Amino acid sequence: MAAFTYAPAIVLLPFVSFLVALFAGDRMPKGGALAGITATGGSLLLSIWVALTVAGGAVHNEILYQWTTSVETLQLNFGLLLDPLSALMLLIVCLISFLVHIFSLGYMNDEGETGLPRYYGGLGLFTASMLGFVVANNLLMAFMFFELVGLCSYLLIGFWFRQDGPPSAAKKAFLVTRFGDYFFLIGVVGIFATFGTGLFAPITQGGEVVAESFPMLAEHAIVDGEVEGIAMLETVGMGPQAWFTVLGLLVLGGVVGKSAQFPLHTWLPDAMEGPTPVSALIHAATMVAAGVYLVARMYGFYALSPTALAVIALIGGFTALFAATMGLVKQEIKQVLAYSTISQYGYMMLALGSGGYVAAVFHLTTHAVFKALLFLGAGSVIIAMHHNENMWDMGGLKDRMPVTYWTFLAGSLALAGIVPFAGFWSKDEVLYEALIHGFGTEGGLGTVYLAAYAMGLLAVFFTGFYTFRMVYLTFHGDARSDTARDPEPVRWNVKGPLTVLGILATTIGFINMAPVAKLTGAHIDFLHTWLSGPEEGGWPELLSTDLHHYEELLHEVPHVDPAYPLGGEITTLLASAAVSLGLALAGVLVARSLYAGADPVEHTDKLGGLKTLLMHNYYQDEYQVWLATGVTYPLARVMNKFDQGVVDGVVNGISSVSLFGGSRIRRIQSGVVSNYATLLTLGLVLLLAAFGIMGGWF
Amino acid sequence: MWVAALLLVTLLGTGLVFLSPDRYAGKLAAAVSAVPALGSIYMYWVYLTQYGGTGNALLSPADIAFGQQIPWITLGELEVSYYVGLDGISMPLLALTTVLTTLAIVSAWTPIDERQSQFYGLMLFMEVSLIGVFSALDFFLWFVFWEGVLIPMYLLIGVWGGPRRKYAAIKFFVYTNVASLIMFAGLFALVFSTDLTSLSLPAMAEAFRTASGLPTIAGVNLMTISFILMFFGFAVKVPVFPLHTWLPDAHVEAPTPVSVMLAGVLLKMGTYALLRFNFTMLADTARQLAVPLAIIGVVSVIYGAMLALAQRDLKRIVAYSSISSMGYVILGLVAFTPYGMGGATFQMIAHGLISGLMFMAVGVIYNTTHTRMVGDMSGLADRMPWTVGIFVAAAFGYMGLPLMAGFAGEYFIFQGSFNAPTLGGAAPVLTSLAMFGIVIVAGYLLWAMQRTLFGGFNLETDYEVSPAAFHDVAPLAVLLLLVIALGVAPDLSFAMIQDSISPVLEIGGGA
Amino acid sequence: MIPAETYLLLSAAIFCIGLFGILTRRNALIFLMSVELMLNAANINLVAFSLQHGNLTGQVFSLFTMALAAAEVAIGIGIVLVLYRNFTDVDVTKATTMRW
Repeated sequence: MAAFTYAPAIVLLPFVSFLVALFAGDRMPKGGALAGITATGGSLLLSIWVALTVAGGAVHNEILYQWTTSVETLQLNFGLLLDPLSALMLLIVCLISFLVHIFSLGYMNDEGETGLPRYYGGLGLFTASMLGFVVANNLLMAFMFFELVGLCSYLLIGFWFRQDGPPSAAKKAFLVTRFGDYFFLIGVVGIFATFGTGLFAPITQGGEVVAESFPMLAEHAIVDGEVEGIAMLETVGMGPQAWFTVLGLLVLGGVVGKSAQFPLHTWLPDAMEGPTPVSALIHAATMVAAGVYLVARMYGFYALSPTALAVIALIGGFTALFAATMGLVKQEIKQVLAYSTISQYGYMMLALGSGGYVAAVFHLTTHAVFKALLFLGAGSVIIAMHHNENMWDMGGLKDRMPVTYWTFLAGSLALAGIVPFAGFWSKDEVLYEALIHGFGTEGGLGTVYLAAYAMGLLAVFFTGFYTFRMVYLTFHGDARSDTARDPEPVRWNVKGPLTVLGILATTIGFINMAPVAKLTGAHIDFLHTWLSGPEEGGWPELLSTDLHHYEELLHEVPHVDPAYPLGGEITTLLASAAVSLGLALAGVLVARSLYAGADPVEHTDKLGGLKTLLMHNYYQDEYQVWLATGVTYPLARVMNKFDQGVVDGVVNGISSVSLFGGSRIRRIQSGVVSNYATLLTLGLVLLLAAFGIMGGWF
Repeated sequence: MWVAALLLVTLLGTGLVFLSPDRYAGKLAAAVSAVPALGSIYMYWVYLTQYGGTGNALLSPADIAFGQQIPWITLGELEVSYYVGLDGISMPLLALTTVLTTLAIVSAWTPIDERQSQFYGLMLFMEVSLIGVFSALDFFLWFVFWEGVLIPMYLLIGVWGGPRRKYAAIKFFVYTNVASLIMFAGLFALVFSTDLTSLSLPAMAEAFRTASGLPTIAGVNLMTISFILMFFGFAVKVPVFPLHTWLPDAHVEAPTPVSVMLAGVLLKMGTYALLRFNFTMLADTARQLAVPLAIIGVVSVIYGAMLALAQRDLKRIVAYSSISSMGYVILGLVAFTPYGMGGATFQMIAHGLISGLMFMAVGVIYNTTHTRMVGDMSGLADRMPWTVGIFVAAAFGYMGLPLMAGFAGEYFIFQGSFNAPTLGGAAPVLTSLAMFGIVIVAGYLLWAMQRTLFGGFNLETDYEVSPAAFHDVAPLAVLLLLVIALGVAPDLSFAMIQDSISPVLEIGGGA
Repeated sequence: MIPAETYLLLSAAIFCIGLFGILTRRNALIFLMSVELMLNAANINLVAFSLQHGNLTGQVFSLFTMALAAAEVAIGIGIVLVLYRNFTDVDVTKATTMRW
């Protein structure tokens, strides 16, 4: 397929723009922005082509480049896996990145920032790394680009390096995600050691499987009991199920770090120190999305382990609620969005954990659109407010910046999950899947699902509340500062991306209106069809990364099955949708009643001690900082003392003993010739006596 | 012939540089050292393209590349000869040595301003010895070169070093010399208890491998005792916890170009010798002792990294993290798997390049700010953007960023040791523990970078900070490119390394 | 013929006198003389054994020793002079700077 031949260029184009912007950006108009726009635009076009080709039923899974040719059978490669999932993700990443580049013209160039080549270079590398991650056909390549994404986030979050905050936030982001990646790395090494391959999907040539994938090998081992060829089991002394669960949870460490799930979410709010377009890119399409995408990518592996699924669902549900509560009291517009991001990725994890593969991918898609929109809208507000982010200094911006207001409102409705905006459809599906699988699954797993569902449902209310608290404070009421009364106007390069995303945020939910499809019987759940492929043959047979396969696995191994507690499927569906919509609306209405006035007051004080707790983010930062500076660093100091005192002390001790001994023995060297002569004589006599006694002369 | 030519040219150049006036010494030395550098790059290329698939120099002498043997001395029963040659293990190390020496000499142009002809002469003399160490295949010859490295190193630290240079130089010399003595004792105990007729390394490998009926001392086989003595001797050079304390002192006191050589090449002498002697000649014993040795490696990784966290001096940070990185090498060696041992050898190259790069970058900062203390300076990125850019890249290389050489080396080692048959059930646990080093290394390097490079510009010393000169930054750029090249295409070295490692894996233990 | 033991006894006696001089006296000149005595004790031994064995090697050796003794005295007296110049004395126990 021609599209697949050019697919590597999707990754390479932004990489070239990185080089061009970095080394020639100074000599280019717009400081390298044009290179980035051209490259991401090109990648977007190529991605569309790839998506169209995939829509035609073709998929691609090839090794492009051998990283090592080992004498061992285990070979480490770079390869492309282009299937509906990665094609969809390519579209999202390229689109968001393209729009972010354009928006940056307004946010960075028009604001007279310096260091633009570095900025656009960073954006290019960021996009390239994420695209490389998306198309990776094996776990090692995915890990490598996953780490590069971390590097780029470091470079971009710390873009304003002359201030104190951004470098610190950048360090934190890299370090916290590195901590997660540590477990991921063990998982990667473990999976390669166990299966001898890290392929996500089998490589086939002419219908013959030439290289098996690790999810398939794991499936054979668990479902068919074929443990031949699976190494490591004896070494670790576990059964396949237990060991695969361990591996899956290790990889999950990286996911939790990058997707900012509890307890490694602390880096994300700090990352708001970076330029706002970067935040949009990080939150919507790249770094944070990478974690969830990885779980979806190797879903066939996770579907084999009930424990891993339970952990994913529980982390997801808990994070959704936990982050939403922290978003309730924040004063900076970007902080609210940051916590909403954490919360929304919690929903995706909840969906993945509870067997809602399509729901997760759907929410990933809609979230990418509306969160990019919200961040860019916030960026527009921040430009207008001369980089003051405090919502209590805003107010009344509705009339002064209508384009921003209406698009931001669309994004907010989507985030809050109000029908018919995008977020409603996807969030509703997430919760619905958790609910029916919670009732249908036997044992502890079902209970976990129901608990996670309850947390996710509660979070819906909070989401509606904090979202519209933000909207009311920012855009409604009277202006509360001089800059808000006379905001700086924004240009087309800001309004353009906002408009595109605003339209998408309103409409993208229609790609998968599963409830409507079920009610009417019309086949309008396009994403479902997209991810499940044809019933017989086609790409699912080649790759086994299709929905049907995952559903079979979920049914067979962890016994995740749907059940409809409220009468039939339709009633449950409607009830679920009604409950989540009702809660969201309730949240919106509460926010309206509290903050919609002309001159709203802070109601947070009424929360009392809870407010302090929420403002301090449950002291999560404090304990992690304490772990670093209160435990690790003192420990390092103690070890340093030990090293200098004990280890080096022994070394110096040996030399001291030698020196001391020498200083004593040298006293014999008196300098008096007669003494030497005496010693000589005495020595001679003693020697003679000794020889005499030994030789028996006497 | 090629190796002899390298040695002779460098030796002649050494004399020339010693006699040259100070003004020209730096440029002349760079020109002289460029000859072996280019020569070894050519040899590398020839090896890569023509000698594909050759074996291990010690185990299959017929496969030795660029070999040459001339009888030299007869010591009673023992024949000593001038015997040199290369294989896939020593070839990359030789190229690393010559290239790094040239770059180190160029990086010395700015900081070294007194006794220049002696300084560059000694650098070249050290290069002669290092070429010899990596190419000699006769123990006598090898030992001459091995000890020959110490003399210039001692003088370079002791004459051109920092305030505590004498302490550091003597500590370095005595420490490593005592270690050599112990190693020598261990090796010759074996030489005299087998019927060797030649001191060539292949002959020794053959004799030790087939040795039987060795005496036991206090119930321990002589082979094991010799192994431990030799390990001790080489481990000092690596260095391995708890034999490492000479390293931070030597690094801190040594002038930057010397630190580059020390971290980049001298530490690799230890692991190279371990690989050649302990893990090739005494492979059986190494397999038996794998678990304790791996523990030593893992402890070095974590201990070195934790200590780096407590340092304020940038050079001390890099010095301690070298201990950490070399711990990975030990872990990889004991794994006795293609990825483990091959990765360990690859890591020698990768760490040579990256630590050289790191020290050079610290040196450039020191040349302009005259301080290396974290906390005495901040916001350097404002004044010297390109240097800082390379510093950041180097630091990420050190943290094991993918597509840079360090990641490749570390990943191979982890992959190789995770299911190493020699380590049994301890393998995943030990490997996972060692991997935690990558988190700690990120911690201290990011911390140091945040404090020194970013934030508002501030400097506690009275020096004007200006962007570094071209010849200061150029070596950094060259090294960075090499690091990235090896990270993207590790097979440039890894393929030949594996070809030469695989015979080692086949002997002993029957793996 | 006088037996060799007699010579040896004489030689031993002279050697002991020389040794006694070195151990008890502090004057550098006396030192030199004592050393001469010890050297000559050795000479007597050489000559005596030469006579006993009928071999001239010992005689030749004693000639060498005399030449050596002469050279030694020349240097020795030089040292004594320097000693006197530096310490205004020829007492060997005063000159103790040649230690650590």
